[in-house]
Amino acid sequence: MEFEPLDDFEEKLKRSFERWPAPPELKRRLMENRRRRKERPRWFALPREVLVAVSLSLGVGVFAALYSGIASYQHEQQREGEAARQQVLTALRITDHALDNINKQLAAHGRASQE
Amino acid sequence: MKNRFITFIFAAVALAMPALAQTAQLPVSSPIEKELAARASEATEITLDKKMLSLASRVMDGKDTYDDATRQLIENLDGIYIRNYEFDKEGLFTAEQVEQLRKNYETGEWSSLVRNRDRKTGESSDIMVKLVNGESHGLFILNVEPKEISMVLVLGPVQMSDLKKVKSIVKGTVKGRGGAEKSIPTKGKSRP
Repeated sequence: MEFEPLDDFEEKLKRSFERWPAPPELKRRLMENRRRRKERPRWFALPREVLVAVSLSLGVGVFAALYSGIASYQHEQQREGEAARQQVLTALRITDHALDNINKQLAAHGRASQE
Repeated sequence: MKNRFITFIFAAVALAMPALAQTAQLPVSSPIEKELAARASEATEITLDKKMLSLASRVMDGKDTYDDATRQLIENLDGIYIRNYEFDKEGLFTAEQVEQLRKNYETGEWSSLVRNRDRKTGESSDIMVKLVNGESHGLFILNVEPKEISMVLVLGPVQMSDLKKVKSIVKGTVKGRGGAEKSIPTKGKSRP
């Protein structure tokens, strides 16, 4: 059977479909890579006890941080509240002092107008 | 749908406006106050907004008698603004400066209860209340002595009878639960 001459593209296509034998060291290289991947340590491959201990430690750490944060916030609120309380008491003292002075002024004014 | 949403937003804002307007704002320190503070030998400036009053109320846990009375006095207030200036000698402030302090409260919503002027000594005193729909929503006290100016502004529902309570608390005549009398510990005035 006679074929018409192939153009370049068809030639390339034909070549790319041709089967080539694998290089002789390919199998060795693949096996080597597989062995290396197996040997690489993985955190989830740790013993269960270690994982539980790490998880518990993390949990306790988070709880301690939260507790400490809340306690610190409450302490700060208490400190600010106490400062505000002292200011309220000072405000009451000044108000009382001003009222006393006003009473004295009015009394003096009343005496002066009687005279 | 979009129009309905916009109408809802406008309605919500319109409803919220009166509530927002009812919370009176404390004034900011005026330049006159700063001048007076600079000349005063002792200046006490206290500004307590609603949040600070709420904080103070929270620590007034009723362990002390005056704590109970003070908490009742302040729990509904919107704010307290105190300025007290003591001077070493007379003549360190002018009548114009005092007038500047007073003029903010000489408006229609403030009614004068006490007004006293002594031209000879320069002493004066004012007690004014802020009336909104016949209800008291604020109290302003200004007392001027030759060597001292005291200004007290209380915002929120305040009655004249509360002034008597202030005296009771400060003078320590509030009876304790067991009948014992207690008084506020006498500490020096807080300096900001």
